[in-house]
Amino acid sequence: MLLTQQSRPVEGATAAITAVAPPPRTPRRRGTRRLLGLAWILPAVVVLAVFVYLPLVQNLGFSTLEWDIYSGSQEFIGLDNYAKLVGDPIFWSSLGNNVLYAVVSLVFQVFGAIVLAAIIEGIRSDRWRRSLRAIYFVPSAISLTVAGLLFYFIYEPNLGMLNSALDAIGLSAWAQPWLGQESTAMIAIIVMSQWQGFGYSTLLFAVAIQRIPSELYEAASIDGIGPIRRFFTLTLPLVREMTGLMVIVTITGAFQVFNEVMVMTSGGPNNSTQVLGTWLYRNGFVRNDFGYAAAIATVIFIITLGIALVQLWLNRRRRVEW
Amino acid sequence: MHAQRIPALAALAAASALVLAGCAAGNAAPAADVTAEPEYSGELSILTKFGGEPLGPYFETLAAEYEELHPDVTVELIQETDQSVKDKTKTLTASGALPDIYFTWAGNWAQNFIDGGLAADLSEVIEPGTEWGDTFGEASLSAFEVDGKYFGIPLYNNGKFMGYNTAIFEEVGIAVPTTFEGLIDSCGPIRDAGYEPIAFGNKDGWPALHYLQQLFAYNVPSDVLHDDFSPATATLDDPGYLAALEQFKTLVDECTDTGNGTNGVLYTTAQEALSGGRAAMYYQEILEFDTVTAEGNTLTPDNFGIFALPVPDGANGEPGAIEGSPEGYLINAKSPQAALAVDFMKFATSKENATILSSPPYGQPSTVVGAVTPETSSVAVYDGITKANEASELVIWLDTVTVPEVADAWLAGGEALISGGSTAEEVLESVRNASDAAK
Repeated sequence: MLLTQQSRPVEGATAAITAVAPPPRTPRRRGTRRLLGLAWILPAVVVLAVFVYLPLVQNLGFSTLEWDIYSGSQEFIGLDNYAKLVGDPIFWSSLGNNVLYAVVSLVFQVFGAIVLAAIIEGIRSDRWRRSLRAIYFVPSAISLTVAGLLFYFIYEPNLGMLNSALDAIGLSAWAQPWLGQESTAMIAIIVMSQWQGFGYSTLLFAVAIQRIPSELYEAASIDGIGPIRRFFTLTLPLVREMTGLMVIVTITGAFQVFNEVMVMTSGGPNNSTQVLGTWLYRNGFVRNDFGYAAAIATVIFIITLGIALVQLWLNRRRRVEW
Repeated sequence: MHAQRIPALAALAAASALVLAGCAAGNAAPAADVTAEPEYSGELSILTKFGGEPLGPYFETLAAEYEELHPDVTVELIQETDQSVKDKTKTLTASGALPDIYFTWAGNWAQNFIDGGLAADLSEVIEPGTEWGDTFGEASLSAFEVDGKYFGIPLYNNGKFMGYNTAIFEEVGIAVPTTFEGLIDSCGPIRDAGYEPIAFGNKDGWPALHYLQQLFAYNVPSDVLHDDFSPATATLDDPGYLAALEQFKTLVDECTDTGNGTNGVLYTTAQEALSGGRAAMYYQEILEFDTVTAEGNTLTPDNFGIFALPVPDGANGEPGAIEGSPEGYLINAKSPQAALAVDFMKFATSKENATILSSPPYGQPSTVVGAVTPETSSVAVYDGITKANEASELVIWLDTVTVPEVADAWLAGGEALISGGSTAEEVLESVRNASDAAK
């Protein structure tokens, strides 16, 4: 195993390159090549600018406006929408729900998924390994909207499968209107989301574990290291890169949650399941306050940008190779 | 400053300029001439609220027939549902892409488009006394009248009634309740007979608002109620509000099987409980009557009856009020096809098409005079529209009559009241705060 930053060019190869290298270019030819290069990337840059960066800048502009979509009038109000955010209790409870979502997702979709992937990859039978991977992956193949609807009916207070199952095993006292009361609605949505995303993370970790050379595990076995210690001293450090990536993806995803909440509760009851995405939507499309909605969008952008920057910073660290 | 940053800043400045240019552009456009002779060519776009079954085919058939009459005209239909049409309309409005003809509710919803100059003034073609205008009931036209100008084309009337299964009432041995307290008292015997007394699903929030608005109309004096719809004049301090909120909570707790979990139930699930014969009552719009008694349902037109939500004892509001209003269409004030749009809507509201709309399977009671008759409409639809016409006052839906911030506060409050998360006083306080903030 090597810890490397950059591979060095082999001496012979350098000599061969030198032997066939063309004569030095004139500044004019270099300029032409540079222009040609720019021309090649221009379409991508234009698409990116028009569909990603321009809307971002526009959104920043909108967040400083009081905008009446009916008359088209737009009044500049500076940072008033951001000041309103600070005093909006539903904004803070929405942010809290996003954080809760992120924490639970980290526990299940990152750390739980590593453990499960290690268990699955530790199974000797190929057939069982493949079958289990497929079984855990199936929920991820279902659209989030469909999964939301499916769980909506599972949670239904009168006809739902969950309450019926609790009733059948004599736990009817535990039956709840899962999505219908403030105390359980958010957790019920998060549970559905973990069910849906767990298999995907497990599969990614399984791939990462497969890349670890089997010799390392054989050596550990010969040294008498047990499976739990092998997991902590071999598997976990060697899937560090994937873990880092999954942590970032999971947290970013938790701040972009929208579909599952809209399908299952639309942010209710009494705004108890609002997350930043749905609160943005409600302010824009229900309350007609598009300026305030743009301010919420900016906050989501700043949070996800911060997470992306952390990811970039982590990627600068040396990679594990073997 | 690094040389590489200059292009980036220049791009940022250019983009900002674009934003500001967009801000300055506004919605300026020439006004539509609705009185002009229509030119029968080009595309006509229509946003409807009839998406899905059983209503979807109505406009599809109309469009096909109109295209057949005028081969150079293409009708582009955008069909949405009751829930999605709100988002679609606002998205199209914000992006300046409103269709030539678009759906509207009465009240604040329509007012926004009228105030924003997005609805064509149709007075010259539809006000009472004009050839087209005289085909409608005058009360229906006035639902879209602002400052003496007529902006909307009312397509159908609507009202909210308690639909009930007459066979269950007979089996239990109870009569139609005449007071709200009587309604609550009837729930026990119905439940004892093995049925859910009142099916109720409030996942979307607005079904609770429908109960609340009817109870407000009964409990709060009419002039006070109307003043309270507008944040500028609202005080929301009439004791009738608290009484209505408490009556609603009693109904949820005593008469529904879902109780404090009603927020987790779809309104269609509740509708199916009535149509499937599992529930004795379900509070519904006239527009739903033919759906709950459609072929294949346990509930048939013969054992389906309706009554207005009974008035609570000692209520100080308007006992003859029914919650409901016409729903209709506006014509885009900036549409280059405005005259053609008027022509299409005249076609849609012809006596023949109005009768089709009022009959099963559509069952939408047309606003056109004479379109709803015992011969053409189902008994329940005819009964409902007669009761709505005889009502001393039609009170518009709570979620469209007031400003969105206040409607949203009522919606969250209704949910909190059902789940037990807030008391009636707390709900009213939160609505007052929303109304004060919207002043």
